[in-house]
Amino acid sequence: MVTVNSKQNSSSGRLNIVVLVKPVPDPKEPPKFKPDGTLDRLSMKLVMNPYDKYAVEAALQLREALGGIVIGVSMAPPHAIDALREALAMGVDEFILLSDPRLAGSDTLATSYALSMVVKKLWSKLGKVDLVLCGVESSDSNTAHIGPEVAEWLGLPSISYVDKILEVSGGYVKVKKLIEGGYMVIRVKMPAVLTIAGTSYTPRIPTLRDVITARRKQIITWNVDDVSIDTSKVGLLGSPTRVIKMWAAEIKRRGKIFTDTDIDRLIDNFLAELRKDGVKLK
Amino acid sequence: MSKIFVYAEVVEEGVVEPSLELIGRARELADKHGFSVSAMLVGFGVRKLADELIYRGASEVHVVDNEVLSKYNLLLYTRAIVEVVKNEKPEIFLFPATTTGRELAPRVAARLGTGITADCTAIEIGDYVDPITGKKYEKLLYQIRPTFGGTIMAAIVTPNHRPQMATVRPGVYSVPPRDTSRSGRIKEWTIDFSEEDVGCLEVLEVKRERRKVDLRSAKIIVSGGRGARPEGFKLIRELAELLGGEVGASRAAVDAGWISYDHQVGLTGQTVKPDIYIAVGISGAIQHVVGMKDSKIIIAINKDPEAPIFRISDYGLVGDLFIIIPKLIERLKVAKS
Repeated sequence: MVTVNSKQNSSSGRLNIVVLVKPVPDPKEPPKFKPDGTLDRLSMKLVMNPYDKYAVEAALQLREALGGIVIGVSMAPPHAIDALREALAMGVDEFILLSDPRLAGSDTLATSYALSMVVKKLWSKLGKVDLVLCGVESSDSNTAHIGPEVAEWLGLPSISYVDKILEVSGGYVKVKKLIEGGYMVIRVKMPAVLTIAGTSYTPRIPTLRDVITARRKQIITWNVDDVSIDTSKVGLLGSPTRVIKMWAAEIKRRGKIFTDTDIDRLIDNFLAELRKDGVKLK
Repeated sequence: MSKIFVYAEVVEEGVVEPSLELIGRARELADKHGFSVSAMLVGFGVRKLADELIYRGASEVHVVDNEVLSKYNLLLYTRAIVEVVKNEKPEIFLFPATTTGRELAPRVAARLGTGITADCTAIEIGDYVDPITGKKYEKLLYQIRPTFGGTIMAAIVTPNHRPQMATVRPGVYSVPPRDTSRSGRIKEWTIDFSEEDVGCLEVLEVKRERRKVDLRSAKIIVSGGRGARPEGFKLIRELAELLGGEVGASRAAVDAGWISYDHQVGLTGQTVKPDIYIAVGISGAIQHVVGMKDSKIIIAINKDPEAPIFRISDYGLVGDLFIIIPKLIERLKVAKS
């Protein structure tokens, strides 16, 4: 259960921040397939979505500057728990895992609804939530939907592609948002949902001690009933979209990788291969 | 006739190319499958752009022109679009997968309680039989997109909810020709924003650099990323010059101030398709990859053998760019003379 004393947090300038975190298959490892051609998610090593690390870093920096609490929230199967410890090791105070077989197959609208119900429960427990942060998108599905859709379910303003949180004062947050060719500076009333695009936040690397401390922290698991989710709105049947077909992308790349500690030889081999393939650099 | 809506994003008093591309694609699908094409224009002083959308293929333009919309405001724009959609009930609604489209479209979808697919690389019309109920659906929008870092393709449909929504990646369809003989209907909407909390979200500053370098026609591009550092860009320029190519960069390198925005390739930069793309010190984050993955040949130089860029490369050189590039330049010079 959330241990925060709500009175202590609602009266001051301290911030209650929720960070949404998605466990994703390690982007450094190629995806694994089952014999029937579908993705073998269970056998893939899960890590924290790289973009969510930026969001966690942004939340921790705000907490360090202004005080408050950072609560991680994730919707995932139980075996994702190790990936979520990474967030605790970075310094997230508490972590809620929403896990329930009834959520399987949820698309972004259903997922955002479920996550918004977790935020609502935290909101009532804490007395307030000031900011909900998440990475701009996930490295596996890259939709960038969850931030704006969670905001919509909560009736809050949102800003996607936040590069930097510039200022928090007087109930407003001022951010720099990336756009094509430059940026916008936007002031938005809190509570608000921000999706963090990265570049300005370098995620801290937990020390061994942080990792050990994180092992002792409890990840609280909630199910669909704990957060009063309407099950007709989640899972495969509650999702408006259906995946009708999946196939391996035809990557027509040659994929010839040259590794050699002798760089002259490496370049020789590379140039010889280019000649063989009839590729002219000039 | 069922309608395909296209969001006409306006930047600096003009409709952005990705929106025109979608009008072109919607027109093709509409002609083949019996839909009509409507464009959705939101902003202040945007009414004058409606004709342009008709010349490009829209048969109808819905305009919400209001002073409170003079600066892009996610909440007010969502409100305007949702109001029109509720009245017009389009079957399909397409947005460009720009930074604006990618935050506006999911908000609109969630408010309408409908499904949406992000960043499609193809859209088609086709039939679908629900394997659970056996119910047959005709002329659904096939939303086709890469997933898992581009290793898997998925086709997605929205059988029961309307509109069927998708954002579509810029550059996958071409801008349709301008035909000034085309005519269409322009419908102006008056929407009451008095209930809205206008001050809730306020754009204080917009900085958008104009592009002076056009990388899209370059045959060879040598691009640098975070790993290149300012010293690396000297080498990158030298290599580009030797090969008669242009210099590109990732967002990280531009943000670090090592090179101007004009050279940026990727989601918030240019989309390029040169004969040869050489990525130097670029890890291969998706935001960069979407801007260069259709290059004919991709060569990557990176010291991290696990960098995702190698997975989409034809040739990968694993090693220190500060050793590899000078030696490569030397060899190419010898070969030349």
